[in-house]
Amino acid sequence: MKNLLLFILLLVSPAFFAQKQAGVSIQTNAQCGDCKERIETELNQTKGVIYAELNLETKVVEIKFRPGKVNPEALHKVITSIGYNADDQKADPRAQKALPLCCQPGGH
Amino acid sequence: MKINFLIGILFLISSYTAQIKGVVQGVDSVATKPLKNVKITLLRAGTTVYSNEDGSFEILLGKQSPDTLLFTAKGYRSDRLVVTRQDRFAALNVVLVSGQLVREIVVSGGKDAHGISKLKTLHIEELTSAEFRKAACCNLSESFETNATVDVSMSDAISGAKKIQLLGLDAAYTQLQFENIPFLRGLESAYGLGVIPGTWLESIQITKGTGSVVNGYESMAGLVNFEFKKPKEMQRLGLNIYQNRFGRSELNLQGGQALTQRWHMGTFLSAATIYGAQDHNQDGFRDQALSSTVNWLQRFSYQGPKMEAQLGLLAYVDDKAGGQMSFSKQNPVGYGMAQQSQHFSVFSKTGFFGKKPAQSLGIIAQLKYQNLAGFYGQRVFSGQEKRVYLNAIYDDILGSADHKIKLGISFLGLQIEQFAQQPFVGVQLGLQRTELVPGVFAEYAYSGNRLSAVVGARYDQHNLAGDQFSPRAHLKYALTPQLDLRLTAGRAWRLPNFVIDNLSLLASSFEWQANQALLPEISNNVGASLVQGFVFRKRKGSLSIDAYHTRFAQQLVADRDSLFGVVVFKNIANNSLATVIQTELAYEVLRGLDLRLAYKFQDVRALYNGTLQTQVLLPKQRYFANLAYQTRNKRWNYDLTYSRYSAVRLPQEGSGKPWALLNLQVTRNFKKLECYLGGENLLNVRQQQPIIDAANPFGSTFDATQIWAPIMGWNAYFGLRFNVK
Repeated sequence: MKNLLLFILLLVSPAFFAQKQAGVSIQTNAQCGDCKERIETELNQTKGVIYAELNLETKVVEIKFRPGKVNPEALHKVITSIGYNADDQKADPRAQKALPLCCQPGGH
Repeated sequence: MKINFLIGILFLISSYTAQIKGVVQGVDSVATKPLKNVKITLLRAGTTVYSNEDGSFEILLGKQSPDTLLFTAKGYRSDRLVVTRQDRFAALNVVLVSGQLVREIVVSGGKDAHGISKLKTLHIEELTSAEFRKAACCNLSESFETNATVDVSMSDAISGAKKIQLLGLDAAYTQLQFENIPFLRGLESAYGLGVIPGTWLESIQITKGTGSVVNGYESMAGLVNFEFKKPKEMQRLGLNIYQNRFGRSELNLQGGQALTQRWHMGTFLSAATIYGAQDHNQDGFRDQALSSTVNWLQRFSYQGPKMEAQLGLLAYVDDKAGGQMSFSKQNPVGYGMAQQSQHFSVFSKTGFFGKKPAQSLGIIAQLKYQNLAGFYGQRVFSGQEKRVYLNAIYDDILGSADHKIKLGISFLGLQIEQFAQQPFVGVQLGLQRTELVPGVFAEYAYSGNRLSAVVGARYDQHNLAGDQFSPRAHLKYALTPQLDLRLTAGRAWRLPNFVIDNLSLLASSFEWQANQALLPEISNNVGASLVQGFVFRKRKGSLSIDAYHTRFAQQLVADRDSLFGVVVFKNIANNSLATVIQTELAYEVLRGLDLRLAYKFQDVRALYNGTLQTQVLLPKQRYFANLAYQTRNKRWNYDLTYSRYSAVRLPQEGSGKPWALLNLQVTRNFKKLECYLGGENLLNVRQQQPIIDAANPFGSTFDATQIWAPIMGWNAYFGLRFNVK
């Protein structure tokens, strides 16, 4: 029983880290749920990002991050590198071409 | 001629142009009223419409399914709904909440892992792949473990085969299908769910009560449809590895490819084995049978302007070896158990679009071969099955899209043999039979704004069971925009396979007495359900209650109460029933933390030993709780599932004990990789002496069928999934 509790604690603990955070909102050209998933996954898996959430209505992705580990410029680059515009920075054309049909500009 | 015939049946339906309609309403601090000019966008298809003066709208669902409907209106919070082609019968009732009233309502953009579709006329519980990832093991029967509707239990202590029960009735009374093709019927019904890997699944739909007549006559307790991954949408490469503490290993490999612009191919390969012989309770018997299974599914899809098609083949071989630790193939000393089965089937679904958008013709065809051989101790069993199935469905509308009709014909040709030796009395039980079942059916569906109904009937001519008529009706009424009432009533039937349906009862010394004529099992089922959606403290939830009552006009029961040491098979008329009441609460307690609580009461009785008694080995009550947490960055998932079962009745006046099951799983998600670690049966519950008189397996009181709790203690497992999209 004691082992069991320890096991549970061990598994649950990473969820409760306290951390210093900063936020940034970036305008993207996401169009559909597929785009949302791609952008969120890429950002959420970037080191230093605490979480990223994209609102499909406004196409703005809100990012909370740890300033010591990552900066807004790098986050913009993450978004353009997978084929989406980030504020005034244009998407990497090659990555954009590889996106599924519903994520292509005008494909929606 | 033969080849033409084969090509002819290598075809079938999938899905057609579908129209989705409904009403958008807005709620503010004053009232709920229809909203005009709401922008409604189908995200993947990219089409947009605006709602009319009275809030109504209609939108054509594109080729892609599922798709997401996004509702936006000035001054209101946006909402979104995932819709599939199956939703074309439904009337949507969408309520947008005023921006002034509530600052922030958490409407998840993703799919709910689990839920009852608000759109459908029938009470259909949908489980998606997010739900299967909560408990990452392994085959179809285990994919129900985070679910309160379906119970999973072990059928005997020797083979370790798992069975499912819906509405308190065995899986044989539930019609199983794979994308609307009959699945795991006949010989496979005893063990098939344990053979097919769960990683193939895209979603499961559970319908309680008699399902649609289009799918056949057998859905007595309900209908479970498995949707596998589609060649076009699935990952390009997926790899899954699983290993548990008790020596079970699995390897799954799958991938989809585009062959041409219109043709896609999906390949699924799977190998699973249990290689560790264990005897933790030291009764001399293996706690689980050793096994090795290899599965192969190859499927193709075609999408053209005038037709769509899905073709495929499924093959597997499964070997099990259980019994006493000392027993092996090379050294067959003592009590052994073995079971070998082979399966091969081909299927096709073809859909042809008519001139009008709502017109279509779908044809389903399937050919199957199944072989089974094995023994429990001295009790040798065998079976063979050959099956041909055809179903043709014509879809059209009557006047407007509010009135839809389906007409069709079906044919089943089946040759099945099943035998079990009775060494004590020197008799072989079983039969070989040929079934020829032509059938016709018609179904009408109405969908209004608040009321929708599906009324259907089918007529089948069975060469052994005679002519059977199965009428069914389903009704949904939206009492309020958030409260749905559903009613269902219907008749269903099947021809029992008494050897296969009760295969695990061979794991005892009890003699079988089966000298009655073969009669069809016939049941009538009625049910009602209420589903209330709500928003509490800015978070969504739902509360549901449903009750179903099944009454058998005719049933074949295995009576273990009449005579000690004997299982008596008998036909009983109007003397068996099942009532099941279930209530469930789902609520997002905190951001990312979903709670599901359920309670189920089942009263299943039949005439045993001359009196109406509760069915053996079935818990009367079940409590269920599931807690699922996903971190905001979606890197971690935690899932905790708890079930508590009441004591079961055992044959001859005995009873089990109440027990509880606790499972936990943690998943770490990376870009292309998911790793999971989990524990099962963490309360370490074990049934003491699961085998009665284990010391004398050839004695007259040996019995390994009275199983109601786990045999093995706590289990730990880990695995990973690697996906290239």
